[in-house]
Amino acid sequence: MRIEITRSGGFGGLTRTWSLEVSRTEAEQRWLPLAEAAADEGAGGAPSDGSAAGGGAGPRGRGPARDRFTYRIAIGYTEVDLPESRLGDPWRELIDRARAAGTDDGAGTGTGTGTGTGTGTGLRDAGPARSSSADPGKPEELL
Amino acid sequence: MHIRCSIVPPHLLTRLAALRDPRLSVASDAARHALLELDPLLQIRAEALGAPVRRGSAVVGTLTRRVYDAGSREELPGNLVRGEGAPATGDAAADEAYDGLGATYRLFSEEYGWSSIDGAGKPLEATVHYGSNYDNAFWDGERMVFGDGDGEIFGRFTASLTVISHELTHGFTQYSSNLEYQGQSGALNESLSDVFGVLVEQRELGQDAADASWLVGAGIFTTAVEGTALRSLKAPGTAYDDDILGRDPQPATMADYVETAADNGGVHINSGIPNHAFYLAATTLGGPAWEGAGRIWFDAVLGGGIPPQCDFRTFAAATNEAAEKRFGTDSREAGAVAEAWVQVGVLP
Repeated sequence: MRIEITRSGGFGGLTRTWSLEVSRTEAEQRWLPLAEAAADEGAGGAPSDGSAAGGGAGPRGRGPARDRFTYRIAIGYTEVDLPESRLGDPWRELIDRARAAGTDDGAGTGTGTGTGTGTGTGLRDAGPARSSSADPGKPEELL
Repeated sequence: MHIRCSIVPPHLLTRLAALRDPRLSVASDAARHALLELDPLLQIRAEALGAPVRRGSAVVGTLTRRVYDAGSREELPGNLVRGEGAPATGDAAADEAYDGLGATYRLFSEEYGWSSIDGAGKPLEATVHYGSNYDNAFWDGERMVFGDGDGEIFGRFTASLTVISHELTHGFTQYSSNLEYQGQSGALNESLSDVFGVLVEQRELGQDAADASWLVGAGIFTTAVEGTALRSLKAPGTAYDDDILGRDPQPATMADYVETAADNGGVHINSGIPNHAFYLAATTLGGPAWEGAGRIWFDAVLGGGIPPQCDFRTFAAATNEAAEKRFGTDSREAGAVAEAWVQVGVLP
């Protein structure tokens, strides 16, 4: 099963996407429960890195952090948005694996008009989840 | 006491002129007098200083810096490596952060009479060497945090003064307008950090508006990247064009406004529009940008006309009002600001 990780925000506002393939068993036993738990927690989770309370610039930019990264992790049809401050060790391991897998889908601005595929966890809006099938390795053209 | 304008720079005179300490009233009067002899712009500013922007108690703060080293871990704040007045550490990132905090403090304090990010001398903190190959710099609500970069795309983030001043201005915004970090108000939050970020650098370099690069983050890309900086206030959308990074996505006008859910609604993208408006106003006025346009933007932020969910039009109106209030309804400053917002399509 394909897992796609999109990182947006940061000082530069550069969006980057990485992906990796995991077995269906691994996805169902390890990552999907974690994604669903994270979605249930919403934006209320505690930051994991000792930063200011409420840490990340999560959905609707709540919390005092500015210029931090936001991660969108898509596991099949399930998507979860996580501010960097809420990334626990399992997610960090997954991101490291995806980056190491060398399937960097390139960087772009994430400004495409894609409707996304987020039908799984009922998050607020699916947004422009980059379709990695569209010319991988090349950034999306602007509108 | 006699102050000679040829020796004391105008920004120092302005600072002295704004002093409210009765023990220094002679120096303060002399500075106000010296400012009157400089030029019409400074005359207006000297008069305007009679009506201080800051409300409440006139706390005279001092500069207090603390730089920490995270030792490549992602834990804050890390170990204190340099406190205020301590000698240089020899570590480039720590010393750049220390100097950058000072330069940012000086702009707000000496030009606008605003001590630190909260107006009351709050200690300024920075953490360097955050994480491993960490390619970002951010404001966590209490301090600035800098990574060393991945070495492939980004080098260390303290290498550009504009990055340090950008992050610290997020602190100023948090304690003043507290613009919500989403959509247009988020883009304004970003724009204020870029605007005062470049102003800090321009003032340190003594550059007039016409001579400045107007770049944010110049020098933090490695040589492998096709690009000069992360953003350009002069020409949004032209800072980089690279195989891996793609093209600088910033619009300069409302006609190219980008609707997106990523990046908190494109806060680092649509900031190009208010950024360019500031550039247009500053270059129309000429001279040091922190004095004319910068002063107006600062006044607007503290003027009460910017709600947390402020949109571009409301912000534009607040700067127009601030320009008229400080420089006069028919002043060239007010005209330049109004025209800039028209040119970027924010006001009709």
